[in-house]
Amino acid sequence: MKRHQQHACRRSFMGQRWTAGCVILLSVLLSSCAPSHSNRIVVGSKNFTESLMLGELLAQQIEAHTTAKVERRFYLAGTYICQQAILAGRIDIYPEYTGTALTAILKQKVGGDRAEVYQRVKSEYEARLGLTLSPPFGFNDTFALEIRGTDARRLSLKTLSQAAAFAPQWRAGFGYEFMERPDGYAGLAAAYGLHFAAPPRIMDLGLLATALKDHQIDIAAGNATDGLIPALDLFVLEDDRHYFPPYEAVAVIRQQAMREHPEVAQAMSELRGKISDQEMQQLNFALDGQHRDVKDVAHEFLRSKGLVR
Amino acid sequence: MNLVHFLWQNHDQIMELTLEHLWLVGISTLLAVFVGIPLGVMSAHWPVWNKPVLGTANIIQTIPSLALFGFLLPVPWLGDRADRLAILALTLYALLPVIRNTYTGIRGVDPAVVEAGRGMGLTDGQLLFQVELPLAVSVILSGIRVAVVVSVGLATIAAAIGAGGLGEFIFRGLAMVNNQLILAGAIPAAVLALSADFGLGWLEKRLRPR
Amino acid sequence: MGTDSTDGPVIEFRDVAYVLPNGQPLLSGLNLRVQRGETLVLLGRSGSGKTTTLKLINRLLTPRSGNVLVNGASTASSDVIRLRRSIGYVIQEVGLFPHFTVERNIALVPRVEGWTAQRIHQRVEELLQMVGLEPQLGSRYPHQLSGGQRQRVGVARALAADPAILLMDEPFGALDAITRDQLQREFLSLQQRLNKTVVFVTHDLREALRLGSRIALMEAGRMVTVLSPTEFLQSTDPLASAYVQAFGDRLDSVTSRGGS
Repeated sequence: MKRHQQHACRRSFMGQRWTAGCVILLSVLLSSCAPSHSNRIVVGSKNFTESLMLGELLAQQIEAHTTAKVERRFYLAGTYICQQAILAGRIDIYPEYTGTALTAILKQKVGGDRAEVYQRVKSEYEARLGLTLSPPFGFNDTFALEIRGTDARRLSLKTLSQAAAFAPQWRAGFGYEFMERPDGYAGLAAAYGLHFAAPPRIMDLGLLATALKDHQIDIAAGNATDGLIPALDLFVLEDDRHYFPPYEAVAVIRQQAMREHPEVAQAMSELRGKISDQEMQQLNFALDGQHRDVKDVAHEFLRSKGLVR
Repeated sequence: MNLVHFLWQNHDQIMELTLEHLWLVGISTLLAVFVGIPLGVMSAHWPVWNKPVLGTANIIQTIPSLALFGFLLPVPWLGDRADRLAILALTLYALLPVIRNTYTGIRGVDPAVVEAGRGMGLTDGQLLFQVELPLAVSVILSGIRVAVVVSVGLATIAAAIGAGGLGEFIFRGLAMVNNQLILAGAIPAAVLALSADFGLGWLEKRLRPR
Repeated sequence: MGTDSTDGPVIEFRDVAYVLPNGQPLLSGLNLRVQRGETLVLLGRSGSGKTTTLKLINRLLTPRSGNVLVNGASTASSDVIRLRRSIGYVIQEVGLFPHFTVERNIALVPRVEGWTAQRIHQRVEELLQMVGLEPQLGSRYPHQLSGGQRQRVGVARALAADPAILLMDEPFGALDAITRDQLQREFLSLQQRLNKTVVFVTHDLREALRLGSRIALMEAGRMVTVLSPTEFLQSTDPLASAYVQAFGDRLDSVTSRGGS
């Protein structure tokens, strides 16, 4: 090293100017890399079937109603990732649930009926985060504690309170997010006095239904709109103590994007109340059970509702 | 559809994610340079700073990146935005190579040169900017090169916490079990790392003694 | 630079002591006076403290006690940068900046002092000639020069701002005998012309006898004696005569100053 420098740098002065030039060039390049885009609308979704379905519905609805180019950025790995992406402006709109927004993002306590929760989330989002909500799509995808239809009929179980008595004999299977979220397992167990013999197994959401059917678990926390509920003869226990907050499906939209593309508001309002619980189950089943292409299913549905041609 | 076709079809998104990736890597490297070079100079001139500075940078390096992301998540202001967090984490990881190479580069300057300069009446600042740094620039650049290449790799992990970038393709591809998507993220990331390595290596050579 | 108006010694050491950071004493009770225009040689073996003494003059080192005065002013209270720029400094390893051309190396102090480009260029040409280098060497880099050429550049650099004082720390020590001889001769003729006040460190008695107007013999951090070359050769001081003995027959050719 020292010998090197004894004969060193014939162009060190040039070298200094080079380095300075590169730094300037880099900085200029970088500032143009900063995330921002104006003539596109980017639709995001989380990484489970229902979110994907809703994302595609949103994308096609927007495509039919605006001239902007719609890009899809689906399969984002969870609520936090979507939230970060929309705050940073990397996506403009994504499907969310009012209950999730209230507890997991705004970190507030649950309480109130559907309308109240919707209002609270909407006003907080608009005031603090630069985001807004579309009108609800119509279904309430709350957590569904599912048991086998056969068990439900055999033990005459209809509500969670009734089922709690059998909990010590059952194995439970839950998804990762349900275990970790404040509005998930912890609160539920407290509200209903649930005590399972062994700690609940954590499984991928997609595998819960089959595990239930195959008697690997006896009770699972799925969603009320699971496509496999009717298909596999699963029974949803009633949340008689109203533990779970409402999870109305809405779209979260960047206010900036709304300003740049006012037609989006119109497109969203047309979706108000268009999807019932049963209809969402069927859509989910089309993907999970029948393995149809999401684009086809979305297009078919929108056409059947007269929203696109 | 084969891979090339897939990449071409999605080249818009690939470009966009690549730019996001570059943003993360570029800003953090720049920050690491602005903080790391002065720290390196400090440790080289005042040996008392050597242990704490290099030691701290070393400790940071040993923290697994995903764990560091996790630590920083609950921090107010930082944890609110994944890209801020990612940029801070990437900067921290880039510090060690920059600081260490600055230290080595400056210590490697012939002491006779420094003594002659000082004896002739150069101020410390003149000595630093006219003599020491220019003579150390090739070594420092080599440290920056390492920092950039490491950052490109780490930035792919940053997608796990929502910071965007090419890692997003990889994670999405994993979730969807779609190899093409994974490669759509992995290949550009690798290309980025290789080009940075090559480009900066070339610059290093140009600035190095013959 | 540096027009001296005093009649007193240009450099003066008053009871100076120097201690290493680890507490080890290196110099003690040092008293010395350097007159204007003389070449004072500090002679001694390694560890005798001669380089340390030299470095106390331009304040590369700070004395533990006592006073070092340059042009009547204590170095402790002077602006150290101004002090150093008014003193030329030549070291054995030369220490040319490898990333600067020869011209830029020589122009070091004039540049930081803000001379005009025109004036600098003229001065560099003048100096190259003075130290016996061809003008086209100005655009070369140090690694392209021989050892002797490099040291000439080192001397030119030290003289660039025309300081009245020159400090030289075994400047020709790393060169081969022929080049050393050449440079010694050139030093003498340069000194005749320029009449600088020079403090010259060496361990070589022949060099001391040839170049010095006075020789200050140092041993173990103390000044043993200060003598003219002739006095030195005839001295009865044990250390001085030990030196003369040691160099024995190699002293034949070195009897007078102002070599040809």
